[in-house]
Amino acid sequence: MIENSNVIELKNIETFYEGEKIPVIHDITFNIKNGEFVSIIGPNGAGKTTLLETINGLLHYTEGKGYVFGMEILKNKTEIRKEIGYVIQNFEIDPLSPFLCKDIVLSGRTGKIGAFKFTSKKDWDKVWYSMGLVGMIDFANRSVGKLSGGEFQKILIARALAQEPKLLLLDEPFSNLDFAARKQIETLLNRIHEKQVITIVMVSHDLSFVPNRCNRVIVLDRGRIIMDGKKQDILKSEMIHKIFNGNGKKK
Amino acid sequence: MIEFPLSLLTVSILGAVLAGFACSTMGTFVVRLNLASIGYLMSHAAFAGAAFGLMISIDPMIGAVIFSFGTAIILGPLAEKARLQSNVVIGFLFSFMIALAFIFLNYIPGQAASGTALRILWGSIFSVSNNDLLFLLLLSFILIIFIVVFYKELLAVMFNRKLAESSGVNTKLFYFAVLFFTGFAVSLSLQLVGGLLVFALIINPTSTAYQFLYDFKKIVIFSPIIGIVSCLVGFFLSLLTDFPIGASIVVISAAVFVFAIVVSPKRRKGNSKKQKLSIISKI
Ligand SMILES: Nc1ncnc2c1ncn2[C@@H]1O[C@H](COP(=O)(O)OP(=O)(O)OP(=O)(O)O)[C@@H](O)[C@H]1O
Ligand SMILES: [Mg+2]
Repeated sequence: MIENSNVIELKNIETFYEGEKIPVIHDITFNIKNGEFVSIIGPNGAGKTTLLETINGLLHYTEGKGYVFGMEILKNKTEIRKEIGYVIQNFEIDPLSPFLCKDIVLSGRTGKIGAFKFTSKKDWDKVWYSMGLVGMIDFANRSVGKLSGGEFQKILIARALAQEPKLLLLDEPFSNLDFAARKQIETLLNRIHEKQVITIVMVSHDLSFVPNRCNRVIVLDRGRIIMDGKKQDILKSEMIHKIFNGNGKKK
Repeated sequence: MIEFPLSLLTVSILGAVLAGFACSTMGTFVVRLNLASIGYLMSHAAFAGAAFGLMISIDPMIGAVIFSFGTAIILGPLAEKARLQSNVVIGFLFSFMIALAFIFLNYIPGQAASGTALRILWGSIFSVSNNDLLFLLLLSFILIIFIVVFYKELLAVMFNRKLAESSGVNTKLFYFAVLFFTGFAVSLSLQLVGGLLVFALIINPTSTAYQFLYDFKKIVIFSPIIGIVSCLVGFFLSLLTDFPIGASIVVISAAVFVFAIVVSPKRRKGNSKKQKLSIISKI
């Protein structure tokens, strides 16, 4: 609790998938301070999603120690998740999915509202506000199954924002967005980060889309951190081009 | 003399309504969580359990509850990790349960044996005892409370388990709650609808509701209504025609479902549901 300014502290973290023999991420150590905007980049299969899901405790680390908000991740999963907004890497929506967009956005607040409590007007206010932020108000009463990939992604972002998180974990939030929508969400992230104290960790395999206000980049390759530093330095370095040569395939 | 059959009829009608309610309410969640296969197994385990109960001369309902919970406890974790996809495992266990049930039925003591055996196989209109009715009423009441109190959690889990978990919902709890309530609903409806068909009552009304509705809240409201109506219509069909009650309920609910597919605005996308139905109709 002394190092309270660190929102995330990972020490020698190692995470396995069940039934696998080799950990997917090895020896991960870094701290992220309150209010930082960090991008994690790396080629496909580098372990970026695994790393994010280790941070919010969806996956369990087997080695090392991890703290979020000064609390040990594995012992306080439910507690810390109330303050973590997570935008999942794109998954397929079942077109029959019988859920309205507004309900999905509201569902981001489920843990925050807490068990045995009903949704209040304040919760709905947050829903409308965050749907407005991503420009999806008109879709409130549409079924999620009928959305395009990009629209769905914006709903998922609104869902995370409605939670009013202190920490925002974004797993490739731009992957389905066209250029205009990317710009819009990028501006939105910049603006949110500017206006309030929020820590953002964003995963991407696209070097060209690191938002302005993000000034730290962590490069992950084959489950290890190979670079961690200022954005400008990293984007200039030789190593990065080696990793990402040939359309982002593994070297 | 007149009063007795009348109240018996009332008990049976109430039983049909409540069985329709409980089963199709749970269906909403079972279908969404992709638990159709485990629910399917559970209902046949309940059937074997009821047969076991009759064999050792206890209330078949107790046997059914124990067997279906046993299935939930053993297979729940497997299905949860999506390792139960294999049709081979399902097919194996399904036939195993039916075989067990037939063996148990064979050893039912006493003279009423064949009648009771038939009853849990095909269901029987007048099999609903006051006790069963009380339990069904209690279960329905608990289900309503459960859904009202935990609606937001249930919605989050039904949409996407991982996202629900990531916003601080204990999804495992709800997953097992769904399994256990399904076990209860199946066990309590077993004698009315019959062990071979009870699962159709879980799947058909819900699948019908899914054909029309895009709002989960409406599905939660309408699928029990469809279930109740199917049960009532099936019940009277059975009274009129002397069809076995379970069969007539399932025929009605299947007919409603087919009608729904034909007129559904979602029809072109509804293939997965059709497949589920075809599994059931193979029995
Ligand atoms: N459920 C799983 N079970 C076993 N191995 C897995 C599982 N999920 C991912 N992996 C493996 O872990 C490694 C890292 O996966 P991860 O999803 O973290 O990569 P990523 O960096 O997010 O990739 P992408 O850019 O494609 O999203 C991959 O090699 C993958 O095969
Ligand atoms: Mg990923």
